[in-house]
Amino acid sequence: AAAFERRVLRRVAEHHYLRVRLELPDGGARPNAAQFKQLVVTALRELHGEVGAALPVDVLTYEEKTLSAILRVISSGLVKLWSALTLLGFYQNRRCAFRVLQTSPFLLALSGNSRELVL
Amino acid sequence: QNVLTVCFSVGYSAVALNHVIDFKEKKQEIVKPVSPSELFPSLPIVQGTSKRIKVLTRLTLVVSDPSHCNLLRSTSANIRLYDIIAVFPKTEKLFHIACTTLDVDLVCINVTEKLPFYFRRPPVNMAIDRGIYFELLYTPAIKDSTMRRYTISNAISLMQICKGKNIVISSAAERPLELRGPYDVANLGLLFGLSESEAKAAVSTNCRATMLHGETRKSACGVVYTVKKPRKVEEEETAVPACKKAKTQA
Repeated sequence: AAAFERRVLRRVAEHHYLRVRLELPDGGARPNAAQFKQLVVTALRELHGEVGAALPVDVLTYEEKTLSAILRVISSGLVKLWSALTLLGFYQNRRCAFRVLQTSPFLLALSGNSRELVL
Repeated sequence: QNVLTVCFSVGYSAVALNHVIDFKEKKQEIVKPVSPSELFPSLPIVQGTSKRIKVLTRLTLVVSDPSHCNLLRSTSANIRLYDIIAVFPKTEKLFHIACTTLDVDLVCINVTEKLPFYFRRPPVNMAIDRGIYFELLYTPAIKDSTMRRYTISNAISLMQICKGKNIVISSAAERPLELRGPYDVANLGLLFGLSESEAKAAVSTNCRATMLHGETRKSACGVVYTVKKPRKVEEEETAVPACKKAKTQA
């Protein structure tokens, strides 16, 4: 008989994952991945200063066509990152808005969105 | 109208359209509010439930002089047409009057400049007892970085006095891009110093309580509307807020 091992992790998850979409309504140049990361770091710096800009944020995936990305941030920095994205108003002097579509401590949970279900 | 469409897609279940009346300019008349049915022939349904999204109308009075408050006591018919009434006091005396005696649902807290007065505990506690909510705006924080500092500093000083109760966070969005989703706004509440449950309540429960406060304010002013209730116990429950209102007025 195979031996099973059960591990229960009671710790809070290390990272939080956010699926975000940048809304840029005017038809100007779209940011590529590096510029997108720069934008996120700028947003953090504007709101939380150098300490916020130093927060370890990773852009896991980025689609230039839809301007949507999956970000990963350490769990203690979720509030800072989310509030910085919310209060960002301008990208290169163009009005923009970040819409956070999903957030979860598990990456797998971002694959299914119950809000997009057609009932 | 674009703003409303974005509101619906982002996930709000009730929206209030605001008209601002400033008394510094001469001869402001209170105009009739735009009826929501003119903008949208049929409102879309809230995601996940089967009810339609509510669109309410709201009036904000910018008062810098005690004589402006007389308008609220006058029997102007147009005031009744608004669902929610908010007041924006500019001086400490007016803040005290608004919290204690004025017949409003919301007291707006200035976020665009440094508060000329400090909050004191007695009028804030009286306002909380009367069921009046304090409102903070977040759209100036998106536009300008100095406004961001003022927003956060004013919000923090308010939190110290009221301990996070009776707060409503709203946007003064004029463009669809200035709007943020409900969970994003609840996260902003965490920045202001609210706890997690208070922050979510600032976007959901407290707003609904403001709507109901506006309805009871309408009904205690002499307008009688009967609602068929299945049980007598429920009738007593809805009658209590109107009685409370009458007591504080008398």
